[in-house]
Amino acid sequence: MGLLTRTTETAPCTVRVSHRFDELSAHLRLDNGAVIHPGDSVLVHGSEIMAPYGEVVEEKREATITRASALERLWTRATGDLEFMELCEFSFSDEVMT
Amino acid sequence: MNAQLPHSSTAATAEEAIARQEALPPLSNEAATDVAMQNTLLTPRFYTTDFDEMDAIDVTPVREEWDRLIAAMKADPNRGHFKKNEDWDDVDWEGMEPRLKREFIDFLISSCTAEFSGCVLYKEMKRRGSNEDITTLFQLMARDEARHAGFINDALREAGIAVNLGFLTKQKKYTYFRPKFIYYATYLSEKIGYARYITIYRHLEANPEHRFHPIFKWFREWCNDEFSHGEAFALLLRTDPRLTQSWGNKFWIKFFLTAVYSTMWVRDHQRPVFHEALGVDTTWYGQEVFRKTSEISRQVFPFTLDIDHPRWRPNLDRLERASVQVAKGKERGGIAGTVSRLAGMAKAAFGFAALYTIPVIRHDVPETSRLEPAY
Repeated sequence: MGLLTRTTETAPCTVRVSHRFDELSAHLRLDNGAVIHPGDSVLVHGSEIMAPYGEVVEEKREATITRASALERLWTRATGDLEFMELCEFSFSDEVMT
Repeated sequence: MNAQLPHSSTAATAEEAIARQEALPPLSNEAATDVAMQNTLLTPRFYTTDFDEMDAIDVTPVREEWDRLIAAMKADPNRGHFKKNEDWDDVDWEGMEPRLKREFIDFLISSCTAEFSGCVLYKEMKRRGSNEDITTLFQLMARDEARHAGFINDALREAGIAVNLGFLTKQKKYTYFRPKFIYYATYLSEKIGYARYITIYRHLEANPEHRFHPIFKWFREWCNDEFSHGEAFALLLRTDPRLTQSWGNKFWIKFFLTAVYSTMWVRDHQRPVFHEALGVDTTWYGQEVFRKTSEISRQVFPFTLDIDHPRWRPNLDRLERASVQVAKGKERGGIAGTVSRLAGMAKAAFGFAALYTIPVIRHDVPETSRLEPAY
């Protein structure tokens, strides 16, 4: 990991989307045990994963992990906490309507 | 179809529920793609934290209370509550005043996003942690949040709005929460969520003519879940006295309280039509929610904010005006828009600082923290 350089790697992953009355959730698991650190990005390959209403969809996919540079990691560690407001139901969500 | 399988919410024990949740068979994506009713993309954040620090939590000092709370959550008294029954009357979405409809839908979507984000965070903690006390708690909370999100989602579907979960295949950046910030922030968001829902619920109980949507009838059980999640975090905060007593952490607690209260104030004042339809005065509502949250948070925080201080309300209003100015500046664009936006941000910073420097009201923290929802 360089101070300013990013590296990428791929990993198999499992995506699980539940679009049901009693459970609306979506989770991503990296199957090779790769660990995500602050500031890293994950991109799941392939088309959008859509679950019709009432169903659970689980798929194996590939994901690209872009590792944050050392500086980015430090920055995210220092400032990430300030994004906590997301957890409140009155948080700002300016992307809500498209 | 997976819908006929016994769902986790009908399981007799939490272990069974957890197993069922995890054993749900997958469905291929092909069948799913032809269903494409979506227009609202949920955009939750993804988190990581210091998992070693989180695993090091030892709940021994609060073991008795902890076990009782976890047992109550496992028993899942609200299981089956989030079902539509005859109380769910028809909603006249077509006839709803357009501005009210817009604000109400905005309210539902931000609620859904918050539940969803909570679920993502808790599930991640559950998956990466190895301390069984902690992972059990996070699993149970993820269950509740997913259930709430599903319930709100259903209300949105009735309005012709389906959430799009396609964010999973977009680039996701993982942000970072220190474990103790997860405790402060989620403790507060769960407790203030309780105070907000119960205040509306009680108000509508007394003034049923203002209940313009049936979802409000479900607010009580809903917020009881929020309340018990908050109780769990209260216990976590009590496992280590430094979390609430050290000089540096008090600084952070005050910061979180001020930030959460003021954001709520600003945001609620941006939904005037929604509150008017509920027959709720937004300013009264804000102060009432702060009062309840402060009273509850005495269980664990060594002070409360002085919400009756002469500087309190004027600076909340200043923040609100600043927020409008920033939004307008952004919309306007160009140099003039940017200048106005920056001026608004400076005003907001000044207002926040004025709120933050109001002296707190100190008190002694009780021996045990356990509370029951009483409002």
